[in-house]
Amino acid sequence: MLNFSLLADATDHAAATAIGVIQPAVDAPDLKWAGLIIGLPALSALLCTICGAMRVRSKLPAFITIVALIGSFVLTCMLFQQLGQGAPRVVGLFEWMSFSWGNADRFQSFSAPFALYVDSLTLFWMLFVTGLGSLIAIYASEYMESDVGKGYTRFFGGVSVFLAAMATLVMASNLVVLYLGWEGVGLASYLLIGYYYSKPSAVAAAKKAFIMNRIGDLGLALGISLIWVNYGTVDYATLFSVLEAGPTAGHGDWMPGAIPFLLMLGAFGKSAQIPLFTWLPDAMEGPTPVSALIHAATMVTAGVYLIARMYPLFALHEDALATVAWVGGLTAFVAATIGMAQYDMKRVWAYSTISQLGYMFLGLGVGTTFGAGYHVFTHAFFKALLFLTAGAVMHGFAGQIDIRKLSGLRKVPGFRLVSYLALLGCLWLSALPFSAAFFSKDTILTAALGSERSDFQFLGWLGLLTAGITAYYTFRVWFRTFAGPVHFEAGDEQHDAHDDTHDPHHAPVAGLSLGAKHDFHPHGPRWAIRIPLILIAIGAVAAGWPAYNVLFFHGENWVQSMIAHSSAVAGSGEVHGQDVLGLSAHLMTSIVGSTACVIGIGIAFWMHLADRSAADRVRSALRGFILTRWIPTTLENRWYVDEIYHMMFRLPLWAGSHILHFFDKTVVDGFLVDGTGRVPVAVARLFQPLYNGVLQGYAATMAGGFVLIAGWVFWIWLRGNG
Amino acid sequence: MTELLATYDASSVNAALLTSSVLFGIGLVGFLSRRNMIVMFLCTELMFQGAALAMIAFGRVHGNPDGQTFVIFILTIAAAEAALALGLVVLLYRRRETLDSEAWSELKEC
Amino acid sequence: MDQSAPSDMLSSATAMLALAAFASAGLVMIMRPGARSIRLAGSVLGLAGVAGLFVEVLKLASGGAGIPPVLPVLFGAIAIFGAARVITHPRPVFAAVYFILVVIASAGLFLLLGADFMAFALIIVYAGAILVTYMFVLMLAQQSPQDGETSANWYDRAPREALSCVIIGFVMIATLGQVLFNPNEEARRVASSVQGEVQAEADLWNTLSRMPKHLKSIARERLQLSRDEPITFVASDPNAVVQSDGKDHFVVVTAQGKDQRIALSAADLPMNAQVVGTTLVRDYPASIEVAGVILTMALFGAVVLARKQVELGEDERRVLAGLSRLSVEPESGGPR
Repeated sequence: MLNFSLLADATDHAAATAIGVIQPAVDAPDLKWAGLIIGLPALSALLCTICGAMRVRSKLPAFITIVALIGSFVLTCMLFQQLGQGAPRVVGLFEWMSFSWGNADRFQSFSAPFALYVDSLTLFWMLFVTGLGSLIAIYASEYMESDVGKGYTRFFGGVSVFLAAMATLVMASNLVVLYLGWEGVGLASYLLIGYYYSKPSAVAAAKKAFIMNRIGDLGLALGISLIWVNYGTVDYATLFSVLEAGPTAGHGDWMPGAIPFLLMLGAFGKSAQIPLFTWLPDAMEGPTPVSALIHAATMVTAGVYLIARMYPLFALHEDALATVAWVGGLTAFVAATIGMAQYDMKRVWAYSTISQLGYMFLGLGVGTTFGAGYHVFTHAFFKALLFLTAGAVMHGFAGQIDIRKLSGLRKVPGFRLVSYLALLGCLWLSALPFSAAFFSKDTILTAALGSERSDFQFLGWLGLLTAGITAYYTFRVWFRTFAGPVHFEAGDEQHDAHDDTHDPHHAPVAGLSLGAKHDFHPHGPRWAIRIPLILIAIGAVAAGWPAYNVLFFHGENWVQSMIAHSSAVAGSGEVHGQDVLGLSAHLMTSIVGSTACVIGIGIAFWMHLADRSAADRVRSALRGFILTRWIPTTLENRWYVDEIYHMMFRLPLWAGSHILHFFDKTVVDGFLVDGTGRVPVAVARLFQPLYNGVLQGYAATMAGGFVLIAGWVFWIWLRGNG
Repeated sequence: MTELLATYDASSVNAALLTSSVLFGIGLVGFLSRRNMIVMFLCTELMFQGAALAMIAFGRVHGNPDGQTFVIFILTIAAAEAALALGLVVLLYRRRETLDSEAWSELKEC
Repeated sequence: MDQSAPSDMLSSATAMLALAAFASAGLVMIMRPGARSIRLAGSVLGLAGVAGLFVEVLKLASGGAGIPPVLPVLFGAIAIFGAARVITHPRPVFAAVYFILVVIASAGLFLLLGADFMAFALIIVYAGAILVTYMFVLMLAQQSPQDGETSANWYDRAPREALSCVIIGFVMIATLGQVLFNPNEEARRVASSVQGEVQAEADLWNTLSRMPKHLKSIARERLQLSRDEPITFVASDPNAVVQSDGKDHFVVVTAQGKDQRIALSAADLPMNAQVVGTTLVRDYPASIEVAGVILTMALFGAVVLARKQVELGEDERRVLAGLSRLSVEPESGGPR
């Protein structure tokens, strides 16, 4: 039977005293070539910039990026093979920041060299980051081909920058370098979301993403500062050894406890949790490869990585992990409910990403970093798969992504592979029993349900409900889009007529549907899109291998051991919880989870395939009943979160800025600046009537001058002399 | 007549000084505010009056005939100035047919 | 007069400033061409201010005691009233006439101050000569009034910028007043006068001793000699003929063969006119010359200014003289 057991003390404060045994780091100067993992994408970014400056009009930037990323992936594999799960290695690359001040009494120094901290968590993350990065770059080389010569170079430059920054973030050896990477991925995300810069909605989405990330970054920066103030170092190795030595006397009682909350804020901003999640759906304005790479697989997991890496710090406050769990659980539920009511396929997958990220945070919060890490791994693959299939649909149907306007695409020639790969992704997302995601989600929910804290148990049940909702909305999309009668409408981004004739794979479809714009022929994806899709699908299936290994062959759970050898060791134990309703926790989770998944798929089948009008009937039924009338519109309007933020923040800021503008114009500009200019004019005008040419004016001036002098003489000079 | 004023009469001196100041001030005001050129010069004569009165008063204070001597010269100068000023005024009047001093305001700054 | 307490000084100075301000306000109200009531109120205010000023000044003089003497105040008030009318009357001739009134009042003050010669010289020269010249010019430059208007010209009726001018005048008078009418100055004046009187007396005797003709006529009168009999002075210093023995002044003359001593009293002292004349000639001869030169230049200037500015060419002059033209060039008007 499955035998998961929680290694840590099953006491109430989650991982409070049990930071776990973190192996001390070892200096490894011979691994300097690992710096190329960051260096290659950076070099590719530089070369793409040169291509841009030289106005290259071919697919050269794509080749450069793909080669660089594959190189990074190969290097990562070599590094993994060399190090495996050994002690963490610190590879110093170059001296970056180092200063010291003070005198002999209070000597203080700050040092943040640009160095890499390579332990199993790093390798674990880098494997799927570089792997997926390369595959998606290959995919994008075809996907973006309509922009060759126009924005192609910019796109691949952005992707290279992103991967360099992500690598920096994951492989950093101290918090400052992590912050550098953090900001770098934010920047790359901004650049790539705003790729279609002539679309105002894209520009707004890019700004929103960047600004919301910034709010989280503030928390992260403050957290890093507090860490330095309290522990005197920002370096991981030193920090972990200091923490293991025991609780420190901080500079104030509240400071150490505040650190996890601040770090948490940063993580929530980057990983789109409540309250900073509204940027992620808007980020779908970017090209689909961007959505797949950045906003599904890699960047949004940076928050999870941060918490996993800094896991020992989260023991500093007893409520820190509970907060993470609650935020994660609630976000998962809320995002899933919104996903039920969206019509844009990419938006559904975006909310799904938010929801699954919520699961990961829930896992971190209830004390299983193993579950969270495993879910990150599996989620990266199947979510990338889903996004890329959506992208293939968009690519073929001129940008059409509305599920109300597409149907039965699996019967459209050229799209069969895409449809079945999407089915695979959907099944994984719904956590079909024995899929990879089933195991990862199961681990998390078991830890929650089996926990001794009743609020975690509640979150566990909520997570199971969310799983059912997830299955429903996932298959709502699949049944609507890929199954049923064939019907499609082209989107707005039609290629020119001559593009179609060049494409050998495009063929007219029999029974061309209604609503097709002038002579529209959908063209299926070519090999550059198909091969990455197939590879990612294989990866998604293979991601379940560690679990199969344990389940069927009593082997070692590779993911678990990867995480156990890192700083997140505290939560890497096998999950074992209390009995729930008489059954063991994991059994309960498996049964209820599977049931929820099947029920969800069943409801989706009924409402969206078997009888499509059922969806409308359900909707009007909900609106008819007084208690549920608000449900459909609220969900469609995404719980009005954007509107609430608009009122809470943007309106006061807008009002404040107008007030300040008014102040600036009238007081500073008008009164001070112009006023100072007007003073000489006014003074001149004061005396001007004396000089109008009439004799008496001059006489008056003479008299006035005489009076002044006389006054001075008599009053001051004579009085002074007595 | 010196017996009449054997002792220093402070009140006459003070009254005379006050009158001279006021005459001077009024003359100044008149000069600045009247537009008729001849009356303007009449007001300068008023200022002369004030000055002369002050001279006499201070001469009395110090017991000198110097004050009165200087008043003779004031008279001389006043006469010369009146003659020339009036001659100029007549010339100006001939040019513009008016005694308004604002008719001669071409040297303005704006 | 001893020094008053500083607070008294201050209050008197402030009072004078306030009174001067009232008087100035009154003047402004008179000057503006407004309603009659305003002008009336202004004149009342002005008179009150001036009267107050006089009171203050005389209080200062007498140390706060005694009845203010009538004559100086009377003359002063008339002079000020006349001056106010000079500057506010819309008709220039009337202004000139009021100026004559000012001159006469001023002459009265001169008299009170012991300058009797100057008083009448003032009347003769100013009122008699200068003002008459002004009248002539006023008549010459008369403009006929526009229809419907009184005989005052439009530019005579309204002053320009009355308020600013009065403010300047007020500041002037305030400055002068502050300087002249404070107890320190008063004390200085009194001290100076005490000193000056002694000196004046000595000067008068000195002057008398330089008036040989006058002395001789006095001596003749006293000794009842006729005009033909010779008299000579006996004195150690021919420039100081009048001698004093500490109590009396006397002069020693030789007449009819014997030395006689003639006592001189205050009645024999020279009159103001003689004093002024002697001072002029004895002490300021150069100034007399310069004054003469100035007057001559004024004469020349007036002649030059008054001449007609017509320059005729030679032809025109010949035509004017009744001769024939020299050339047959076209006629051109002389430059005017």
